[in-house]
Amino acid sequence: MPQQAPILAVRGLSAIRARRVVLEDVALEIPAATVTALLGPSGAGKTSLLRCLVRFDEPAEGSVRLDGADVRGLDAGLLRRRVGLVAQSPVMLPGDVRANLAYGLDAPREHELAAALEAADLDADFLHRPADGLSGGERARVAIARALTRSPEVLLLDEPTASLDARAATAIEVSMLRLAARGLAVLVVTHDVAQARRVATRAVRLEAGRVAAQGPVAAVTGRRR
Amino acid sequence: MTAVLVAAALVVLAVAISHRRGLGLERELAITAVRATLQLVAVGALVTLVFEHVGLAAGFVAVMLTAAALTSGHRLRGIRRPSPIAGAAIALGAGTGLAPLLITGAFELTPRELIPVAGILIGGAMAATSLTGTRLIADVGESMPAIEARLALGVPARAALHEAGRRAVATGLVPVLDQTKSVGLVALPGTFVGLVLGGASPAEAARVQLTVLLALLGVEVVAGVVCAALVTRACVLPGERVEPPG
Repeated sequence: MPQQAPILAVRGLSAIRARRVVLEDVALEIPAATVTALLGPSGAGKTSLLRCLVRFDEPAEGSVRLDGADVRGLDAGLLRRRVGLVAQSPVMLPGDVRANLAYGLDAPREHELAAALEAADLDADFLHRPADGLSGGERARVAIARALTRSPEVLLLDEPTASLDARAATAIEVSMLRLAARGLAVLVVTHDVAQARRVATRAVRLEAGRVAAQGPVAAVTGRRR
Repeated sequence: MTAVLVAAALVVLAVAISHRRGLGLERELAITAVRATLQLVAVGALVTLVFEHVGLAAGFVAVMLTAAALTSGHRLRGIRRPSPIAGAAIALGAGTGLAPLLITGAFELTPRELIPVAGILIGGAMAATSLTGTRLIADVGESMPAIEARLALGVPARAALHEAGRRAVATGLVPVLDQTKSVGLVALPGTFVGLVLGGASPAEAARVQLTVLLALLGVEVVAGVVCAALVTRACVLPGERVEPPG
């Protein structure tokens, strides 16, 4: 399989939060059309890295490049539409699912909203469901669909299947694979090595804010895929 | 003098109740009562002097505005430059009410009319600013996940904070809305009582009270909206990031 060009490249990234170094000299590449797993124990800096990638936090040093362009030179709103972030516990905005998907869009088209739901393994019927009545798995998938309505090139998923049952987790894993097949770069934070092996082609292991290993998922997780 | 003594006896009663019920408010009640006494004695003497000179009256209004900005600014701790923000909201709010009332001659530009009307409008603007600001500061701190969910969808930081700002302005207007709705039914407002006690007819007192109450609606909306806009701005960092106050 030919090596995919990196859509997102991180160089020498260091970050400090609450006077603590949370990332130190992190360098990694996220290829397009690929699921990359971001592994590591709690407190390793995984969420901090995702926050730096969408400029929720500014790094102390280093750079993040999106398709070759330093993200500091991009409009932050445009960056966040091109690099979608789905938080570990996604917050639903007031209103129904449609209001969530259409939030911030100028002229959302119904078929585009329905397509985003479908890509997240949800029926178009969901558009009119109240967002505050969704299950954990449905919330996670609506949050993914919401990010997809911006047509991102990169999708960052922070433990999207944590605390979900096996069926809901499988639906999200299937969505990740479908999205990567459509050309998206998917970076998924997970504690579940087996999940990383199921969905990811590449993996990055963070430990104490530093990259401990990266490469093919089998090599990083220590077993053949 | 008898009236003041009777009112002071009620403060003693309040302190006794606090002590008896273990509320722990004795010291604050006593200090508040003494402070109010000293302030009003000083104001009484000062206003007597100020009533004679328009220039002094303008200075007095400036002192009221400064005191209101510092008081409200104290409530907005946790954001950058709280007192200037509070001062701007209060000045714009009170100015919005005061300017048309003076320009149209609803109230005369004399110390006797300027000071009490400006005081009421500044007080109303201060209340709206404090309530709006404290609610917004607390809301931004508690709602960061929802705010970041909006930011993650590519909207500007101010748009992501809009909902919190709207809730805060609504909260800040609750007292003036309730006061206006219930006027004459639940309590007789201060201006009305003061004018009637001062010898004005109830009809004249009601006219002045209505003017002040309606003006306060506009004043407090402007103060709340300006406060929310400035607090929102204080929470926004370069790169469309939001920094929770604190």
